[in-house]
Amino acid sequence: MRIDSPTRRLPRETVVPMINVGFLLLIFFLMVAVIVPPPPFEITPPQSETKQPAELNSPLYLSASGELAWGEARGEAVFDGLASVAGPESQQPLTLVADGQAKGAEVARLLSRLAGLGFARVELAVMP
Amino acid sequence: MIDVVFLLLVFFMLTARFGGYQAAPVALGGGAGEWQGPPRLVTVGPDRLALNGEPIALSELSQALRPLLPDAAAPVVVRSEEDATLQRVMQVMDALRENGIATLVLAE
Repeated sequence: MRIDSPTRRLPRETVVPMINVGFLLLIFFLMVAVIVPPPPFEITPPQSETKQPAELNSPLYLSASGELAWGEARGEAVFDGLASVAGPESQQPLTLVADGQAKGAEVARLLSRLAGLGFARVELAVMP
Repeated sequence: MIDVVFLLLVFFMLTARFGGYQAAPVALGGGAGEWQGPPRLVTVGPDRLALNGEPIALSELSQALRPLLPDAAAPVVVRSEEDATLQRVMQVMDALRENGIATLVLAE
């Protein structure tokens, strides 16, 4: 007489901790993720000791070689777009994300031009 | 379902941006009130510094600026030379902020 060897069933329990860890990581990333459209060009902001989180709602980008980008606009066209949102009613500061290797004088020129457009507050994005 | 969980996990891992940026407020020139006290112009070069035209070391800058400030919130004009990078300007501005000189106007 032959007795079938008992079919071995995979214990389901070993999968459960893995799913738990998967969910844990998923929730972790959901919490910490800040989904922002990537900058139009490679930008490494300057390093600074400032401890104040930046709000990145439609920032103005300035690359190391002096290219400008704001939303879809590039180059000189950004000022047309910015002029439409500037004004005393714009309480939110404009965030300027400039490369650390950009020329300081160019940033200064840009800032005075933004002041001329009517921006009251400008914040410079920096890396800790 | 596990596949979907892992897919979402990978998606968030790839799109997440950790830490994010910090923000340094910069004062905009113009629109401010009348200039008070003696001139305070810090000129930043790639490897040199000058206060009102006199060369000065970064470590002595805040010390030298303090007597020139009529009050703590008085502005200091930081002017970048053409070949100085923004990183260099931020380094100088950081050093001033650390010493309580917070109103910095970046000028051309």
